[in-house]
Amino acid sequence: MINTHSNHSASAIINARKLGKAVPTSEGTLHILASVDLIIKRGESIAIVGESGSGKSTLLSLLAGLDTPSSGSVEIDGRDLNRLNEDGRALLRNELVGFVFQSFQLLPGLTALENVMLPLELSGVADAEQSARALLQRVGLAQRLQHTPRQLSGGEQQRVALARAFVSRPAILFADEPTGNLDRKTGAKVIDLLFELNQEQQTTLILVTHDMSLAARCQRTIRLEAGSIV
Amino acid sequence: MTRFRLSLKLLWRDARSGELTLLALALLIAVGGTTSISLFADRLQRTMNLQAAEFLAGDLVLAGPAPVDPQWLAKADEYALSGSQTVEFPSMLLENGEMQLASIKAVSETYPLRGRLKTRDAELQDEVVSSRGPAAGEAWIDKRLLPALKLKLNDTLTVGEKVLKVTRVISYEPDKRGDFYSFSPRVMMHLDDLAATGAVQPGSRVHYAYQFRGSENALADFKAWLQPNLNPSQKILDIHRDRPELGSALQRAERYLGLSSVVVTLIAGVAIAMATRRYSERHFNATALLRCLGCTQAEIVRLYAAQFLVLGLIVSAAGCALGWLAQYGLFRLLKNLLPETLANPGGLAIVYGLGTGLVILWGFALPPLLRLQAVPPLRVLRRELEPLPSSGWLVYGLAAAVVAALIWRYTDDPKLTGAIIGTGLLVLLIFGLAIHTILQLSRRLLPRLGLHWRFGLRGLLRDSRAGVGQILAFAITLTAMALSFSVRSHLLDDWRRQLPDRAPNHFAINILPSSLADFQTDLQREQIPDSRFYPVVRGRLVAINGEAVQGRVSKDSQGEAATQRELSLTWSDRFPEDNQITDGAAWQADRPGQVSVEKKLADNLGIRPGDQLAFTVGNAQLAATVVNLRSVQWDTMRPNFYMIFSPGTLAGFPATYMTSFYLTEAQKTVLPPLLKKYPAVTVLEVDQILQQFRTILAQLTAAINLILYFALAAGFSVLFGAVYSTLDQRIYEGALLRTLGARRRLLRIAHLIEFGVLGLAAGLLATLAAESILYALYTRVMQIDYQVHVYLWLTLPAAGVAGVTLAGYWGVRDVVRQAPLRVLRR
Ligand SMILES: Nc1ncnc2c1ncn2[C@@H]1O[C@H](COP(=O)(O)OP(=O)(O)OP(=O)(O)O)[C@@H](O)[C@H]1O
Ligand SMILES: [Mg+2]
Repeated sequence: MINTHSNHSASAIINARKLGKAVPTSEGTLHILASVDLIIKRGESIAIVGESGSGKSTLLSLLAGLDTPSSGSVEIDGRDLNRLNEDGRALLRNELVGFVFQSFQLLPGLTALENVMLPLELSGVADAEQSARALLQRVGLAQRLQHTPRQLSGGEQQRVALARAFVSRPAILFADEPTGNLDRKTGAKVIDLLFELNQEQQTTLILVTHDMSLAARCQRTIRLEAGSIV
Repeated sequence: MTRFRLSLKLLWRDARSGELTLLALALLIAVGGTTSISLFADRLQRTMNLQAAEFLAGDLVLAGPAPVDPQWLAKADEYALSGSQTVEFPSMLLENGEMQLASIKAVSETYPLRGRLKTRDAELQDEVVSSRGPAAGEAWIDKRLLPALKLKLNDTLTVGEKVLKVTRVISYEPDKRGDFYSFSPRVMMHLDDLAATGAVQPGSRVHYAYQFRGSENALADFKAWLQPNLNPSQKILDIHRDRPELGSALQRAERYLGLSSVVVTLIAGVAIAMATRRYSERHFNATALLRCLGCTQAEIVRLYAAQFLVLGLIVSAAGCALGWLAQYGLFRLLKNLLPETLANPGGLAIVYGLGTGLVILWGFALPPLLRLQAVPPLRVLRRELEPLPSSGWLVYGLAAAVVAALIWRYTDDPKLTGAIIGTGLLVLLIFGLAIHTILQLSRRLLPRLGLHWRFGLRGLLRDSRAGVGQILAFAITLTAMALSFSVRSHLLDDWRRQLPDRAPNHFAINILPSSLADFQTDLQREQIPDSRFYPVVRGRLVAINGEAVQGRVSKDSQGEAATQRELSLTWSDRFPEDNQITDGAAWQADRPGQVSVEKKLADNLGIRPGDQLAFTVGNAQLAATVVNLRSVQWDTMRPNFYMIFSPGTLAGFPATYMTSFYLTEAQKTVLPPLLKKYPAVTVLEVDQILQQFRTILAQLTAAINLILYFALAAGFSVLFGAVYSTLDQRIYEGALLRTLGARRRLLRIAHLIEFGVLGLAAGLLATLAAESILYALYTRVMQIDYQVHVYLWLTLPAAGVAGVTLAGYWGVRDVVRQAPLRVLRR
């Protein structure tokens, strides 16, 4: 069955159909996303833009399997997320997905090196340390391996996060406003790195951003307004 | 493997950054407390068994009116027990034309197995301690026999048909039986000479005793083997049966210590639960990230479980070491008081300590820890998402199970355990509901209050579940400590009352009326305080209201014992100090023919005020009317009597006098000359028994204080645990309020109000709980009249307010100190 799916949309790595998200609130049901259809091809880079509150992060979390939709479905690499339980989605993430967040999300207790090693260790890769070192070198932090996040600047932390995202060579990278917490210059540096690595690894990139110039560097841009693609 | 390494790494980082300090501290206290107490109790128990064994001259004694089957002794050999044998019987001695009834004791070569004999020479000097009895052909005799039979040392003495040479005066015999007032003087001889006396014939009153000594296990096995084979006239004696006053003090102390360590565990457990709550809350983000990176829920649980397992093992090991040190220090402190032969601390207690540590940690930390597996990965994007709080059933159920297991271990009584746990949970539930309701009500009140109060109370109401939890936690802690303190003071008072510092430690009996005045003068000259002189007439109770007494008693009861031998009868116009009338009229003693009867004996024989009692004294008859019943404290080491008559009732009967008095170690030198001057008088030295009793109590008191320190430390860990568990939120809110323009003063006062109210509520609840539990304990278990503990009502709420406010104020000082910007940027 999985095979037929893969054949059916061989080039689509993400296939979202009629995706909807509604949450109950004290003032009635709030429809955050309404019937979003989206097919993302392997290796494609795509920017999601829209006003604050338009549902960008919500869409990203549904596509990445961090949350479950109220309606519709998402397939990643031919696997229907609705058919997976929480743990199944976790394994899928571990296998295929990398993340970069606005707020870096490094583990404060671990050094830069250990943070980068983390995804590899979780999937049981043997030479985690070597790969991690290589990637940290690649993002220009070869001298900061043993520093903890607290000892790093925001830009450096985000570079560590980039290294962590790419170290497991994910098929898909989700980035939610990766430069939101950085000044323009530092942000630009991080974005350059992100695109470089993306190029090198042929990763599918889904990037949420406010920044239109950033969006322009992606192959495709979709705009969200009040939970719908326009 | 890599996961485990990751666990260790995370654990190490957390430990270094201080995340685990409070958790580890609470666990350390719990394990340290329980281990030191179980080590101490275990060691004390075994030391005391050694000591108590002295009073039996063996670890285990088999006693009966006939020799035992030789097979039994062979069995004892099989268990590798060493043994000795004694045979006791009364015999009339005739020397130099004088007659005296004596109690003969023939002892085997190995007697005494435990303890030592002490003998003196004719001048009552030159005390020699020996570990065996007289050699064959020799006799050691009671001092009283010298004048009574006109004997000197090295004279001969004929027991039955055997002639023995009197070589020593016996001054101390470890396993002397019988009460203080009524025993005939001793002649001790070798067992090999027994047959030659011809005194032991079928039908004669003989008491055979077999003492055994060996390892605890072997003794227990042997005892288990013996028990079904015993006939009704045979008895096994061990320390608990034979030394009831010691046994009960020990047992009570052991229970108290055991339950106190449960209290420590409970309090520390509360702290552990709180610290773990904070720990897991501070790990929500990291967990969300790990989930995001692909950790399954099971992996998350394993990751943290591994950390806690390692933490538990390390801290428990440290706790065991702490417990061992505390116990060691305690014994060192008490070194002067203790006997030289100290049992070694048991290794099992260490294993038990490790086990306890893990059980406590899991019991209290698991629910908040399990919450981590439910952290949604989406939290990486939406910080406000939190896992559901762990279910109350799990939290309280698990903790209750752990506490129940511990209580059960100490009480060995499933019913009592069930009752305690059930009541505890019920009280918690009621209190929880009450607090919840009160918090809800005060929420309504909020808008009408001033700014400071509004801010302060809002802190409490912010999360009413957490608020209830905190108040309950403090209330449990305070209750537990209050109980610990009250029961402790009760125990100690009890012991102090039983054994005041200068409790009489010598009895003088057999003081002839002719020498009474001289004896009193001599004591006064030496400045030895006595506890009054009482006349003693030996007599037997024969009938109650004309009905023979024999038929009224049950076998083996105190009543039976009292009717089968002569009682010491006395007369007085007032009772000994500690006697209290429980039934009947006041003691007027205005005419002869009145008697007051000790309550327990009266109950046993069915004697009521107004009954007519008949006695025989010698060949004469005597009648008296029961005026009242009296309670007597037998363990005060003062002369006490079953029967006290009104003066004049016993006129004309031959009486001797008795008293008890206190001698310091230095004053003991007055004894030999005194004994020489009054040959008829016998002085019973109970100072050794008393001293032993006292050292045991001192040890127990020290242990009780030690456990209280642990409880106190645990209490503090709860205080700080509670404050820290909400610290992050407070810091954040404080910073926010300050950026919005709140002044530090406002925040400070608001904190004070919040913690003050919290402490007050907890204190009041604790007072109620402690009072109810003490009420139940005193009236149901200890059967003592209950009085409201006024001091509880004052100290507990005050302690609650003071403790919580101070800890809280100190804990949140950072909230008002840190620059708001720094906090908000984090
Ligand atoms: N679980 C939820 N409960 C209630 N409201 C929610 C929930 N999740 C999202 N929302 C609301 O849905 C809307 C979309 O949120 P989302 O985070 O997707 O917006 P966004 O486009 O990422 O905005 P921003 O650019 O500010 O990050 C917001 O109004 C948000 O408050
Ligand atoms: Mg967003």
